[in-house]
Amino acid sequence: MNAIRTFRRTFVGGYMKIFDEGWGKAKQRMKTAIKPGPGFDVGWNNPNMPLNNYDIVIIGGGVMGWSTAYWLMHKVPRKARGKIGLNVLVVEKDPSYTRASTVLSVGSIRQQFTLPENINMSMFSSHFIRNIREYLSVYEDDPPDVQFNPQGYLFLATAEGAEQLKQAHDTQVALGAKVRLFTKRQIEVKFPWLNTDGIELGNYGMENEGWFDPWLLLMALKKKAISLGVNHCHGEVTDLVVEAKPGVVEGRLCKRITHVKVKMPNSIQYQNVKAGHIINTAGPWAQDIAKMIGIGQEDPMGLDWELQAPLPVEPRKRFVYVFHCPQGPGLDCPMVVDPSGMYFRREGLAGNYLCGKSPEEHEEPDAKHLEVDYDFFNETIWPKLANRVQAFEEIKLRMAWAGYYDYNTVDQNAIIGTHPIYDNLYLANGFSGHGIQQAPAVGRAVAELLLDGEFKTLDLTRFGFERFLRNEPIREKNIV
Amino acid sequence: MNHLVLGYVGLVIGVIVTKKSMVWRVGQVGSVLLMLPATVLVNMNMTISNVSYMMTSDFVSLGLTVLSIWLLPLMLLASQQHMVSESLIYQRVFVGCQVFLTGALVLAFMASDLLLFYIAFESTLLPTLMLITRWGAQKERYQAGTYFMFFTLVGSLPLLICLIGQYQMVGSLALDLSYEGVFQLSYLVNFWWVGCILAFLVKLPLYGVHLWLPKAHVEAPIAGSMVLAGVLLKLGGYGMMRVSLMWGATAMLSSEVFLALALWGIVVMGGICLRQTDLKSLIAYSSVGHMALVVGGVLTGVAWGYNGAMVLMIAHGLVSSCLFCLANLWYERSSTRNLSGSRGLIMIFPLISLGWFLMSLMNMALPPAINLFGELVAMVALYNWSPYSIVYMSLGAVLTAAYSLYLFGMSQWGNTMKNYKNLYTITSREYLLTTLHLVPAIYLIFYLGLMF
Repeated sequence: MNAIRTFRRTFVGGYMKIFDEGWGKAKQRMKTAIKPGPGFDVGWNNPNMPLNNYDIVIIGGGVMGWSTAYWLMHKVPRKARGKIGLNVLVVEKDPSYTRASTVLSVGSIRQQFTLPENINMSMFSSHFIRNIREYLSVYEDDPPDVQFNPQGYLFLATAEGAEQLKQAHDTQVALGAKVRLFTKRQIEVKFPWLNTDGIELGNYGMENEGWFDPWLLLMALKKKAISLGVNHCHGEVTDLVVEAKPGVVEGRLCKRITHVKVKMPNSIQYQNVKAGHIINTAGPWAQDIAKMIGIGQEDPMGLDWELQAPLPVEPRKRFVYVFHCPQGPGLDCPMVVDPSGMYFRREGLAGNYLCGKSPEEHEEPDAKHLEVDYDFFNETIWPKLANRVQAFEEIKLRMAWAGYYDYNTVDQNAIIGTHPIYDNLYLANGFSGHGIQQAPAVGRAVAELLLDGEFKTLDLTRFGFERFLRNEPIREKNIV
Repeated sequence: MNHLVLGYVGLVIGVIVTKKSMVWRVGQVGSVLLMLPATVLVNMNMTISNVSYMMTSDFVSLGLTVLSIWLLPLMLLASQQHMVSESLIYQRVFVGCQVFLTGALVLAFMASDLLLFYIAFESTLLPTLMLITRWGAQKERYQAGTYFMFFTLVGSLPLLICLIGQYQMVGSLALDLSYEGVFQLSYLVNFWWVGCILAFLVKLPLYGVHLWLPKAHVEAPIAGSMVLAGVLLKLGGYGMMRVSLMWGATAMLSSEVFLALALWGIVVMGGICLRQTDLKSLIAYSSVGHMALVVGGVLTGVAWGYNGAMVLMIAHGLVSSCLFCLANLWYERSSTRNLSGSRGLIMIFPLISLGWFLMSLMNMALPPAINLFGELVAMVALYNWSPYSIVYMSLGAVLTAAYSLYLFGMSQWGNTMKNYKNLYTITSREYLLTTLHLVPAIYLIFYLGLMF
């Protein structure tokens, strides 16, 4: 007995303990000595780490990223998915989407644009949303539903703006949008709660316009894309590695993005993902991605002059306020857009309304944080609300939130296409507030551009990056 | 000839200890230098080495040994582009894997003892598995590695058992002593022979057990594809030749079953190739078709069949390896292997189109390429075995020509893809690679001593 106790005390309690301590310390020292990265395994396998080679890397897991991923897999026949070089990785740095534009958006869809491409994109998207069960159903799962309320948009115009509204209406009708012009008298009859002082003309979308839940659309796209074989990881893209080789043109190098450095969350571990094609759908932070490869910086050698044109996307903060008005317009309240840019719509069935306004250039809020400025509501929006609808004089502000527009500072329209220098970089940025309603169409367009080499269904070449090089901005007049 | 294998051992050590800037130089220059002792082998007589009693070489092993030695610097040349960004230790392991693989192959082809051959045969498995699963491109490479490993292992276990059985019956496994064949007259000796040959049929591969090949070839990196298509498949053919001679004609009773599968395989693989959308997959399936003809040639048992199979193996090694290099060249620039995504290349890369052209023509056995001579000789042997086989062989030849032209036409001609604006020029490294494949292939046209 005594011998066993002594044995246990000296051997197990003594030598083994010393050994375990020493071995543990040695392991710790080894771990800190070896610099983490793709070259060495630190001893703990991060299950979130992506593989080291993908054919297509989509930077940004918002609605644009997942829409593109879905359409890429959708275009490939089933037995060839993943086999003929279509491994897709979606990298998202915040899967809870706390600051993403997609989930903080109001989720409206309208065909009332002036550019034909915008109108066509929204028409396809509304068709997509209406038939979302055929597109995005996953086997053995509940069919997706985005709560589409096709209530319509009512654009109001004063006497000065009536001519432009009529021209826009003609463009929209020519492309097949179901919109109808209302005179002042007709508006008064249809919407008796609306105050038509100063209003000359109204353009109302009868079908395919309204609002839906952007979170549900994002989740439906994500689920379907994952079921088709798209890989995703939670990580942040910190760098893009470029290789430059001599090409056919004398003196200019052919540049290609070869690797994407994806950093793991809360860690210094990163993976050097070898990427064949890279799609930038990073939303408001698209310019950070572009800056990593010198887009927008002076080229010291002066050879690649196209690099001087930056990707003109920056985050702009916009507020959305929800208020309650018991005597308000009621169930037939569409999304009303005031000539001043203020908009409001019904939210739910309990007498709540949602409103907002794009601030003027001089009163742009600080985009470093998502704090809500209630003075903006009290001083700028509420007077206009009260002016437009009598009942809105007595309201109670329930809640508000702020989100980012991925604002295209040049012409507030989408940037879709390849970059002239890096031709395995695809861009889908700068939607400036009307991205969620163009997401299905944009995803399909980028997928066609990547897989077929050109746009097949909707020709969006006018939205390419080259317009900044040629200084030919495309202006959209109906910006909300 | 033992010093040749020691040379490779030294090269592995050299790759491990040299500094970072010299790793690839040591690998490439060393492997080129190791070709000089290989020229000693080119005397086509059966030689027993005076350095070691374990190594012999006769005309069967000569061609394949030189082929595997020749392919090592080409493999290193082809893969240095995509290995540039890896960390140093992984580069060392990569180069070391290939050198070790070539050393094991040389040992296998020059072994004079069947058990040594078996050991070398098995030891080529591990470096290839490492190449495929670690440096392959898609995530399907894990499944490809599993298929490759298990097919080969399941096939080679009967080989070990039957070799040991043969040792028990005959008393020795040395090759130069056993040209007589096991002299038994019962039909049971057939099963011993089938057990031996199963490993090689899986390795070749025969049509029914070929599933691992498209997966492994497609998922492997360029070096892996080159060595797989160029040499490892030929291990199967070589092994079949050695083992069949050992057991004798009485053992090859069921050769007709495998011959039938092989003949059918030629036709079916021709058809499958015409339906492929992946560039590498097409070349991989064409390998199965060519090797099916090799199986046919060997299993006839006559000298002409052996000659034809030998020449076909050497020719196919060079042509297939070059085609993989060319496909990889395009893949490195465009990140796609899809045939419909790589059209009109003759307008972008005219000179390397010459490489595509010559290799596609040689693939479909156009005279005067040696592929034709190999096919012709093997076909004559098969016709001698059965006149009805001419149906399958001619159909196979037509389909081979069809898919070779399809490969060339789809990739080179047609409307050039518009979304590739920034493709860098073909480097001289890639031209050298293609030339080094073409030069032996064209030189061998004039070296008829290979066959007769």
